[in-house]
Amino acid sequence: MDALEGLLYGLSLAFTLKNLAFVFAGVLLGTLVGVLPGIGPAAAISLLLPSTFHADPISSMIMLCGLYYGTMYGGSTTSILANIPGEAASIVTCFDGYQMARQGRAGPALGIAAFGSFFAGTIAVVGLMLLAPTLASVALKFGSPEYFSLMVMSLTLVTYLSHGSVLKALMMTALGLILSTIGLDPVTTKLRFTYETLVLRDGLGIVPVVMGLFGVSEVLLNVGETMNREILQSKIKNLFPSLKDWKDSALPITRGSLLGFFLGIIPGLGTIIPTFLSYGMEKRLSKHPEKFGTGVIEGVAAPESCNNAAATANFVPMLSLGIPANPIMAILLGALTIYGLQPGPLLIREHSDLFWGVIASMYVANVMLLVLNLPLIPLWVQLLKVPYTILYPMILLFCLIGSYSLNNNVGDVIIMCIFGLFGFLMKKFRYEPAPLVLALVLGPMMEDNLRQALLISGGSIATFFTRPLSAVFLLVGFVSLLLPLLKLRPTAKFRAQE
Amino acid sequence: MVKADRWIGLFFSLFAFYVCVEGVRLGLGTYQRPGPGFIPFYAGLILGVLSLAVCLWGFLEQTDKPDRWQNRGQIAMVFLAIVGFTLLVEWLGFILTAFLLVAFLLKVVERRGWGFSVAVAVAVAGASYVVFDLWLRAQLPAGILAS
Repeated sequence: MDALEGLLYGLSLAFTLKNLAFVFAGVLLGTLVGVLPGIGPAAAISLLLPSTFHADPISSMIMLCGLYYGTMYGGSTTSILANIPGEAASIVTCFDGYQMARQGRAGPALGIAAFGSFFAGTIAVVGLMLLAPTLASVALKFGSPEYFSLMVMSLTLVTYLSHGSVLKALMMTALGLILSTIGLDPVTTKLRFTYETLVLRDGLGIVPVVMGLFGVSEVLLNVGETMNREILQSKIKNLFPSLKDWKDSALPITRGSLLGFFLGIIPGLGTIIPTFLSYGMEKRLSKHPEKFGTGVIEGVAAPESCNNAAATANFVPMLSLGIPANPIMAILLGALTIYGLQPGPLLIREHSDLFWGVIASMYVANVMLLVLNLPLIPLWVQLLKVPYTILYPMILLFCLIGSYSLNNNVGDVIIMCIFGLFGFLMKKFRYEPAPLVLALVLGPMMEDNLRQALLISGGSIATFFTRPLSAVFLLVGFVSLLLPLLKLRPTAKFRAQE
Repeated sequence: MVKADRWIGLFFSLFAFYVCVEGVRLGLGTYQRPGPGFIPFYAGLILGVLSLAVCLWGFLEQTDKPDRWQNRGQIAMVFLAIVGFTLLVEWLGFILTAFLLVAFLLKVVERRGWGFSVAVAVAVAGASYVVFDLWLRAQLPAGILAS
């Protein structure tokens, strides 16, 4: 199926009343999650996942994907109006967006964020549509050694790009790998670390773990903290940017979109680092770099376009290789498995309806978000005024419901509670949860491929180094482990800015 | 690095040691046929080495100021509240437990008024029952209300 044919097929799926309703629900909930601080896309997707078990996989994936990029749109609203990033990728938007709002230019800032996101989203969907099938067909030639090495590379890249200590990130990766072995060993059917507990027999579920690490822990961190939300009260006008605004933003939007897309493909980069890079690039290219941070529209246009393009590009390794680029993709990957689909290079070929349905729904979602977001801004502003003391009991309750309804079992709720406390302590002592989550998801696949590779090679580890592609993956992984020793990490300076 | 890393490193070193022992017990297999303990053993080994490094680093490197532990009491109460929910939900049923959870968080943790706490708890428990149980068919436990 070529791209155009596939897209038309996808559009025929996306334009059914049911799927349009699912896209709508996804983007609306996503924007809500993006607006509300204290709950991010990872926890929100985990929460919503059990409720999709009754729907078909295509509609469910369409809704969950819609939720993901809805958060990217929603996050900008709070960054601009309240100087609070609704989700991490919108941190950079605060720098100039809030300053613009203070100068009475909240309208153009919100407008350019929405239009930039729309443009970037559209560009990135085209990129995804063209790149993912090609990458998948290349990946079909991969053997177990290549797959294993690719996963090793992904995990080392995640630790290299983590914000804190690399040593701690590597520790969390190793812990994630250990946790991934809990349950029944698929080869020997021996039980590992289950302690005669029924809920652990199938392994540690990704959803309760993510809900704990990203949902409950966030609530525990914020309890009792006074959230200073200074929402600008002035009426928002001129949502359509002026001709000058367009002129100033056109190139930053284009550059931000392209940068976001290409960086978003790399596992581990997620959406946060590309937005910082995009902001830095615009500042360097600008004729008036000193004005950045005082409310220039380029400082909103570029990172907002960049985070949307990166968010869409994150789907490339997930859909074509079955490798998640960040914890959110890890949950979506888990969702595919729950729906009975096998992630990997065959997914696009064997479930072309899912792939093209999701792609087409991304176009639809982009249009919906543009149409929805701007008129609904007053509503989001009202929601921002709901005090956190009322919000967090609801977030907790939804997490508890979500984890219980996975298998109608309190075992999953207990796992969520444990990981909630663990995640809280991790954040307090500056250990990052992302490497743990990715290792937990990739662990079983890594083990499977390692065993197969060793079996085929007759127990020779050289097979990972003598096959060219596998050797390249391992080399990249090795270099990414060495670079922090040379203090060459892109995340160090972002940490200071955050 | 923070001061606590010394103890965290030590804790994870011991945990890694346990994982390695368990890995050997499960069976390492051979390189040609790795056993069920192969990955846990080697991942445990890596974790052990890294944890010891973190522990040593904590002693050798100048440690940053640790984060402040404000609101410890509130955090503990919130955590206990969700643990309580977990223990009670199948016996008391979803509606009652959800009501108790929200009311506890608002009244005890946030020190809101009785009227406000009860009203919000009733609304949240009722609305979430309608949305999740009736609409999304999440099959939440009915508990003692079932009879």
